[in-house]
Amino acid sequence: MLTFDRYEMPATLPEALALWADAPEGARLVAGATDILPWAREGRAGDVDLPLGIDLSRVAELQGHERHGSRVRLGANTVWQDFLDDAQLARWLPVMPHCAVWFADDQIRQQATLAGNLVNASPAADGTPPVLALNGELELCRWAGDHILCRTMRVEDFVTGPGATRLAPGELVNSVTLDCADGYGASFQKVGQRRSLVISVACVAALVKLDETGTRFADVRLALGGVGPVPERLRDIEDRLKGEPVDTRLIEDAAAATAARVASRSRVDYRRRVVPGFVCAALEEAAERARVAQRKEALHA
Amino acid sequence: MQRKMRGRGVAASWYGIARTATVDRAGAWAELDDGGTAKVVTGVTEIGEGILTVLAQIAAEELGIRPEDVTIGDNDTARSPEAAHAGATRQTYMIGNSVALACREAKARLFAEIAAHWEVDAGTLVAFDGELRAEGTNLAMTMAEAVDLCKRRGVVPVGAGHFAAHGTGLNPEDGSGAPWQAYVFGTQVAEVEVDTVTGEVQVLGLWAAHDVGRVINPRGVEGQIEGGVVQGLGQALMEDYQTANGHPVTHGFAKYILPTALDVPEITSILVEDPDPLSPLGAKGIGEPALVPTAPAIINAIHDAVGVRIRSLPATPEKVLAAIAEKQARAAAAREAAE
Amino acid sequence: MPEMTLDMRVNGRKVTRRADPGQRLLDFLRDELNLTGTKEGCGAGECGTCSVFVDGKLVKSCLMPAAKAQGADIQTVEGLARPGELDVLQKAFHKTGASQCGYCIPGMVMAATSLLREAPEASLDEIKERMGGNICRCTGYTKIIEAVALARDVVTGRASPAVLEPEGVGESYIGHNVRRLDAPSKVTGRLKYAGDMVMPGMLHMAVLRSPHAHAEIVSIDTSEAEAVEGVACVITSADVPGKDGFGVFVHDQPVMARGKVRHVGEAVAAVAAEDVATARRALAKIRVEYRELPGLFDPEDALRPGAPVIHDYAPDNVVKHIPIRKGDVDKGFAEADLILEDEFSTQQVEHAYLEPEAGLAYVDADDVVTVISPSQNITHHRHMLSEIIARPINKVRFIMSPVGGGFGGKEDMIYQGMLALAAMKTDRPVRLVFTREESIIASAKRHPSRVKYRMGLTKDGRITAIRFEMLSDGGAYGMSSEGVMRKAAILSCGPYEIENLQVDTTAVYTNNTPSGAFRTFGGMQAQFATESMMDIAAERLGLDPFEIRRRNMMRAGSLTHTQQRLTSASIDRVLEAAEQASRWEPGAPTMRGPMRGDLGGPGTRAPCTLGARFETPKDSKERVA
Repeated sequence: MLTFDRYEMPATLPEALALWADAPEGARLVAGATDILPWAREGRAGDVDLPLGIDLSRVAELQGHERHGSRVRLGANTVWQDFLDDAQLARWLPVMPHCAVWFADDQIRQQATLAGNLVNASPAADGTPPVLALNGELELCRWAGDHILCRTMRVEDFVTGPGATRLAPGELVNSVTLDCADGYGASFQKVGQRRSLVISVACVAALVKLDETGTRFADVRLALGGVGPVPERLRDIEDRLKGEPVDTRLIEDAAAATAARVASRSRVDYRRRVVPGFVCAALEEAAERARVAQRKEALHA
Repeated sequence: MQRKMRGRGVAASWYGIARTATVDRAGAWAELDDGGTAKVVTGVTEIGEGILTVLAQIAAEELGIRPEDVTIGDNDTARSPEAAHAGATRQTYMIGNSVALACREAKARLFAEIAAHWEVDAGTLVAFDGELRAEGTNLAMTMAEAVDLCKRRGVVPVGAGHFAAHGTGLNPEDGSGAPWQAYVFGTQVAEVEVDTVTGEVQVLGLWAAHDVGRVINPRGVEGQIEGGVVQGLGQALMEDYQTANGHPVTHGFAKYILPTALDVPEITSILVEDPDPLSPLGAKGIGEPALVPTAPAIINAIHDAVGVRIRSLPATPEKVLAAIAEKQARAAAAREAAE
Repeated sequence: MPEMTLDMRVNGRKVTRRADPGQRLLDFLRDELNLTGTKEGCGAGECGTCSVFVDGKLVKSCLMPAAKAQGADIQTVEGLARPGELDVLQKAFHKTGASQCGYCIPGMVMAATSLLREAPEASLDEIKERMGGNICRCTGYTKIIEAVALARDVVTGRASPAVLEPEGVGESYIGHNVRRLDAPSKVTGRLKYAGDMVMPGMLHMAVLRSPHAHAEIVSIDTSEAEAVEGVACVITSADVPGKDGFGVFVHDQPVMARGKVRHVGEAVAAVAAEDVATARRALAKIRVEYRELPGLFDPEDALRPGAPVIHDYAPDNVVKHIPIRKGDVDKGFAEADLILEDEFSTQQVEHAYLEPEAGLAYVDADDVVTVISPSQNITHHRHMLSEIIARPINKVRFIMSPVGGGFGGKEDMIYQGMLALAAMKTDRPVRLVFTREESIIASAKRHPSRVKYRMGLTKDGRITAIRFEMLSDGGAYGMSSEGVMRKAAILSCGPYEIENLQVDTTAVYTNNTPSGAFRTFGGMQAQFATESMMDIAAERLGLDPFEIRRRNMMRAGSLTHTQQRLTSASIDRVLEAAEQASRWEPGAPTMRGPMRGDLGGPGTRAPCTLGARFETPKDSKERVA
């Protein structure tokens, strides 16, 4: 059971940051609340009384998204359902709808935020691999007495271990900025024990761009989750494939190397068996979708 | 091996109806009430299986009225006769027959009065769907009129019924005995797809043929089969309550994995009727038996698909993949030995 | 507790309340507004029973602090149709028989409403995908999906509203699809389960549970808890006036731990207070001193000489052993051409009824101690409680509230005694609602099993002998173990006539979560082993799985494993029905899958790959209701 001695709903970023800067020990930021409420239950944290909850869902500056060149900046209140409902976001970030559809369920996606998923830093977080693949960067802000201080950090550097990040005291995530990947084919694969409301045993995000002939990898983005303390971008495999022809044998060879990346403490054998096949399937599906996207584009042109 | 492999398996089963190795019993009261309605009182309520509707159908059929005219109460040890427990696939069999017998007594009271009024033999009276008539005559009235007439003649048409199923205890040395008087049988076929990359198993089709005795409500029976099958599927593939030195580790639904709408197969139910000769209704039951053959049918189907035998439930993706890997390793070793 | 003024529109009406902004929207709706159609199934966003619309978006209200709904337009299940009416979806649920226990149904109706608003043209796959956040434990989802598809067809004009009408009756109501009489109250959220019921002056109970698997209770000090403002009473086993013990077969379980605890989660003491939060705070102030004892966690260990003893009355830790002997197994194995030996195991399984245990007790004007709860056996509970509280049986009354799923898990009287004691001690109504986690750790599970199997067969597939040995972990208390072992033994060798058999089933005490009654009562564990063996045998002998079963099946006149003469046996008919319906292609079970010709036909679905909604064109989106 979760109780708060105070519950605040700031409307602006300065208000939120000021509250956070002065917050008593044990205070918590509340974004979607879909993690904090289940956390305060028996078997996990048990009954928890927090001195202060700062609910960010009404902070104006954290809403919405905008595109700047080849990057898109997502306000921290962007929820998972946005990747399914907003056709523009789906086009810019083709991997996100495939990931979103695996994320929790329809109801939770209305509340749960991408930023919250990153900050929670679960090794099995669905959101981190696609964000890594899209060179995700966070804007972190804090209150400096009379003004807001912001810094940016790559998500790859931000997540340091299970539940651990480089978020400094007084800081909150203001936005998540991602590469736009228009024209890429994307795939998100996840294995768990069922097909909805499932926590990943392992997941992989893949993005593929083909060259103009549609036969070679022009770009490859690949990231794995659930196989170690932090999700990981697989740059060596990306590099191995870039410029090469899209070929099953080559993909299989490249993917075989991923088994060695498994560094989880549990179900190691299983993860080692699954991951290479999984990475293969993701690359092949992404390549196929890239071909379809290319054909569609050709048709329109 | 292709990534997705399919296969089929079958399992058969049997089950006993009502409480085991004992004399099971239940009681009920019935009253034909004003307006041609009825009250039926017995000591259990709905646990979801549809018993209230089944009892209303039975009462309606026996009394010659409509199910919606039946009021069922009262699930209360201080207000209703003993019906004992809501389990053991005994509700339709035990309570259903008790209600039928109670209704027969109430109806006999009413029919005696109407027969006297019409000056016909009570055996010629037929009631259905709220209408009462004497066969071979043009005499007819509504059940509402009949109850009114019966009461004006000074008779309240009430009845009581009880039903017993005579099981015997088991001999403590050799277990011999007759634990039930009614048995049901079932057979299920499962079709699965095994993902040889992840070890995930999806059950795509399931055919469930069950003898339930006389069917009271076909949709209700199907609902019991479908629910039983999916519980069996959960146990076959994903559910696993775990403790570590007595401390539960699957303490919520995030850890204790249940099937969702995306995990269930298309289910085809085939209802087979082998009526029970020892009870007035001939109905037997389906609540528990529906679940029995599901897990072995699925496990046998996995074997058919990928040639591995899972001996320990649940067949998680991890277990299935490990079994496939072991099988491939054995085959490779055998090839090597042969060379 | 902080307070703020919460303003919302709820089901079209303006609502203003001073309330705790940090409480869950679920609690605000249920406790402040008495909208109990919104259920709590898990409190952790994993089941969907609490789904409500907030500004048109479906959310799980157990995951939403009430403050987030400030100024919002809320729609709950009570707001879908006018009182006394059903909307199209609710009618469809009624028509197809989509509700069973009904506890998940308001959430299901809400999820279906959301999907028909968002995607009225949804395919069956998309329907399933969009309802993936809602768990149902009774229906197997099939009739729910059928109902949603039916409503979709009516809403989109593909089907006439007449399809929602009841089927006409022919000559009999037996064998007729009479619609469930209780469905309208379930699809509208109107039906009150025990946890939805309130009485004037009602207290709320919370239970202190053991953190140890096996420990002696040295002392319990409740004084600090009793002193907490708002606490009406604290009860322990010292408050039991009569014979303290309950159980389905052996009364080995005290209402609350007496002298020692035998499993993690066992009730040790309980507090009744003005509200749940106060009761839970007071729990933390009960001081219990434990001395830990060596525990037993594996059923094999429980049988070893010198093993710790869990119950004094059972020094060998055996709850029950059931033997069955028929014929001469040595002779039977001697006659066999093939002898197979194997081992099988099944796991502990949670009932996972969506309604957690809940109850309400009071003492009425005639001094009758009354307990309202979803008990699956009010007759037996009445007997046991009468002894526990030392009152005549007519001064104990059990009322069975609508059961939100039972499956055997609500046969054990694990909390009704505490409620009765607290009501007697305070002379006030007392309500207890388990959390999901509490339900999972404190209630019985399906017995896990280990089976050692030996089967002898002739070359033509006739079984000559079976030796079947099952060991099962009964956990800390007897509950239904005796009956489960009996049923497992009786049914063990399946629907086959076996001339020679030797069956032993044994349940033992350990310090694990107790095992108890669960749909099939031992029948599935035993027959999982037998039906696996039948296929293993068929593979070895090159026989079709149906054929080997036919060669051994019971018939009218057969002697069962317990030597009962059967007057009829429908196994031949169900085998044939399943074989025909599935269009089974005969052959031995030798990994035939890749060669089969009967796969993927009618009666199967396509494999699920998420993303069905990407197939439906976006521009078809329109609001329905």
